[in-house]
Amino acid sequence: MAATAGASRNKRLIWLWTGIMVVFLYLPVACGLLASLNQGRYFTFPIRRWSTRWWERTLDSIEISILIQTSITIALIVTAISVVLAFCGALAFARYNWRGRTLFQRLVLLPIFFPQTVLGLALLLWFNMLGLPLSWQTAVFAHLVWIVPIVTLVISIQVYSFDPALEEAALDLGASRWQVMTEVTLPVLWPGIFSGALFAFLLSWGNFPLSLYTTGADSTVPEYLYAKMVAGYTPGVPTLGTISTAGAALVLLGGYAIVVLARRARSGR
Amino acid sequence: MDERPSILELVGVTKQFGGLTAVDHIDLKVREGEFFTIVGPSGSGKTTLLRMLAGMETPTTGDILLRDRVVNELPANRRPTCMVFQSLALFPHKSVGENIEFPLKMRGVARDKRKARALELLDLLRLPQSYYARNVTQCSGGERQRVALARAFAFDPEILFFDEPLSAIDYKLRKTLEKELKDIHKESGKTFMYITHSLEEAMVMSDRIGVMRAGRLVQVGTPEEIYTQPRDRFVSEFMGEVNVIEVRKGANGHAVGVELPGDFVLPGGAVPFETAHLVVRPESLRFLAGEGEAENHLRGTVYNEYALGSRIQYQVRVGEKVFIVERLRQQAYQGGLDQEVLIGWDAKDSVLVTD
Amino acid sequence: MGEAALPRDDSATPPQAAARRRLGLRAGPLYSLPMLTLLAVGFLAPLIAVIGFSFSEPRSFDWLAEPTLENYRTIFDPSNTVYLSFLWSLWFAFLSVLILAVICYPVAYGLAKVFGRWSMVITLLLVFPLFISENVRLYGWVLFFIKAGVLDGTLRALFDAGIGDFLFTPEAIVFGLVYVYVPFMLFPMTLGLSMVPNEVVEAAGDLGASRLQVFREIELPLAIPGIIIGSLLTFVLAVGAIAESKVLGGQSVIVITHDIEIAFTYSQNWPLGAALAVLLMLVIGVLVMTVLRYLDLDRILGRR
Repeated sequence: MAATAGASRNKRLIWLWTGIMVVFLYLPVACGLLASLNQGRYFTFPIRRWSTRWWERTLDSIEISILIQTSITIALIVTAISVVLAFCGALAFARYNWRGRTLFQRLVLLPIFFPQTVLGLALLLWFNMLGLPLSWQTAVFAHLVWIVPIVTLVISIQVYSFDPALEEAALDLGASRWQVMTEVTLPVLWPGIFSGALFAFLLSWGNFPLSLYTTGADSTVPEYLYAKMVAGYTPGVPTLGTISTAGAALVLLGGYAIVVLARRARSGR
Repeated sequence: MDERPSILELVGVTKQFGGLTAVDHIDLKVREGEFFTIVGPSGSGKTTLLRMLAGMETPTTGDILLRDRVVNELPANRRPTCMVFQSLALFPHKSVGENIEFPLKMRGVARDKRKARALELLDLLRLPQSYYARNVTQCSGGERQRVALARAFAFDPEILFFDEPLSAIDYKLRKTLEKELKDIHKESGKTFMYITHSLEEAMVMSDRIGVMRAGRLVQVGTPEEIYTQPRDRFVSEFMGEVNVIEVRKGANGHAVGVELPGDFVLPGGAVPFETAHLVVRPESLRFLAGEGEAENHLRGTVYNEYALGSRIQYQVRVGEKVFIVERLRQQAYQGGLDQEVLIGWDAKDSVLVTD
Repeated sequence: MGEAALPRDDSATPPQAAARRRLGLRAGPLYSLPMLTLLAVGFLAPLIAVIGFSFSEPRSFDWLAEPTLENYRTIFDPSNTVYLSFLWSLWFAFLSVLILAVICYPVAYGLAKVFGRWSMVITLLLVFPLFISENVRLYGWVLFFIKAGVLDGTLRALFDAGIGDFLFTPEAIVFGLVYVYVPFMLFPMTLGLSMVPNEVVEAAGDLGASRLQVFREIELPLAIPGIIIGSLLTFVLAVGAIAESKVLGGQSVIVITHDIEIAFTYSQNWPLGAALAVLLMLVIGVLVMTVLRYLDLDRILGRR
């Protein structure tokens, strides 16, 4: 990068373009927030009368608190299970050399490279054939099929930068396999596992295509929103949408804060 | 001595990053066709200096003149200079031939002319022509080195810069390549500017050496001058293992040891001083049979010995201080481990440095 | 790669070390088991179910009671226009990949080479929309583009002239696809660009290459694995997308996934839907397998 006038102008353009991209990504979120503050039932802009009554109504609604509870329950269970499965999967993906590893890697990628709508419908058929009644539990399973591979990739990136000699040194110094895992492997891979968990929670929280076909009579927040968008729009729709977005943002920021604090605590010692 | 015109001139060149001064007021003239090496420990600013000369950084203040023209702001791709990187920076997706031809392709030289030149360069660098189509990732360390050099030659620069290109290569091959590089310098007649942290490497190849410390050029001179007349303690210690004795002014032109008892004869032409350091190289120290055999002497105990092939090195303790003494294998010696010995040197073999 | 190295004939190796190495060889398959089980039960089995259904009697709910090719015959019948849905989906996906590649490159370049310590925060900003349900985000665009919405209202207030209809057109679908799949193009691309060593770019400049030549000769060829992965990912996901066409496209065009959904839900013709899904899976499967064969995942994901 020559430190010349041309190069610094290019850098400014890149910053500018990235700024535009960020605005592009968040503009619809902002529109949702605006619409939720509109007093009337139908959205017109500029907003004539502002009001928080749709927020009050949404927050007071028992139906919506049940929706949120269902979504959180699914996301928490998905997170717990997928972290364990994906941790093992990442070790097989990136840590050990074994025959069939390349095939395993391709297999793990398949569900990610697969349209979720089709996957959801396929699972619907499959549950039907097995005679399983659809409920939020079947949705947990559906989420896992798609989320575990993604979390595996996230953790794998950390595993790739993990020096296997560390484990060997610990074994050599007299640690048992279990001690190696708790004293060396897990602490070193912790950041990857943590961000994997964040991914799992957030992807499950926001998922729509898989939930749509697999929750049966239960409903998640994104499903409810979709139903209301198609028929029965009120400003309650963007309100709940904004709440869902804000919830995800809180989880992400909280996670980021934990990472930063943990890093600081470690280097401070 | 050498009256060739200077091709590159630095006038008060300074580079600051934030509050940090990486390169501090450097004045230097490099002559046409010279092999000039800048030596310094890591963090001395030598890489930053080289990157400014190659056009990858611009100086904060000062001027860089190439053939009397100021080139401070000229970007790297428009300077008639070329750099061989520490990592070599070979293009991993291109073959050996495509790597060498790269600068010619950028200039729009026709394909067959490019190939002819690349084959010529393979010959010059003693690589078989069959390497033309080989993938660079399949080449060994020494071969990659030569490909990088061939690529730089294909650019036909007026000055070639080298950023420690040999530092990642094992000792034996490095020694071979150092000599080869000096031969290539002679054959090509181009100006080479090399940076390294190893003064030993600099000694082997260079016409002149500049020693850098904390962003400043401490001393510039021929390898001989740097070796025999180091300007200060830093330069002398940078050269390798040396014995340094702290002294203060004594009677009738002699010096008196500060940590050691003794009265030392000084080399001729020593500058006036109050306190200073007397530097004696291990190979200038020798074991004595009697005090009359050398102008200066000390009594100590042999603590350990190390075989270095043609030479043997000893650690001799004199009081609290450890001296390093070297002798050639064939020279006589009557000491032994833990025995008391007499070591000494002649005044002309020592250097007095005032920091 | 330590433990998994082939057993060397090394008499100095203590017996425990050899045992450790054998353990390592077994650890790979062992650790892969949970994932393989999940994929077998949750991915392969449902796919087989779909394939089976595609050969079942039309409108039946019995799995392979009487195997038949009837569903495929219906689809390939010249009077059937479902091929149009396929073409629309492929065309939209192709357009989205092209647009995304162009608009994401500068940002990916910035993340990999320019932003330095800001990269982390900017990445976080760019990742986050991934976690918002795409319905919510797409509906935000409806509010933006709709008559008397944010854009129309602003223009009316400022210039006293609104905009024409953009919503519920094929262009709006492509817009939605581009919007939703930004992260899927951006991050593989960033990964690809960060594989280009800075020194190699500097060396090219030093050897006389202009900015454009550096891009064509060095950056692009070296970053191409990441760009290919990003393109493949966005293409596949866009071919299988449905929300964009339903929310932003109205009923202006029916994409293939929408046809599949209709067969499964409204028309209650599972075998026909299954046959369409199988064809879509074939297109995607062939594409993914062909491209993945040429990529070395270990190198891209940063194995040393």
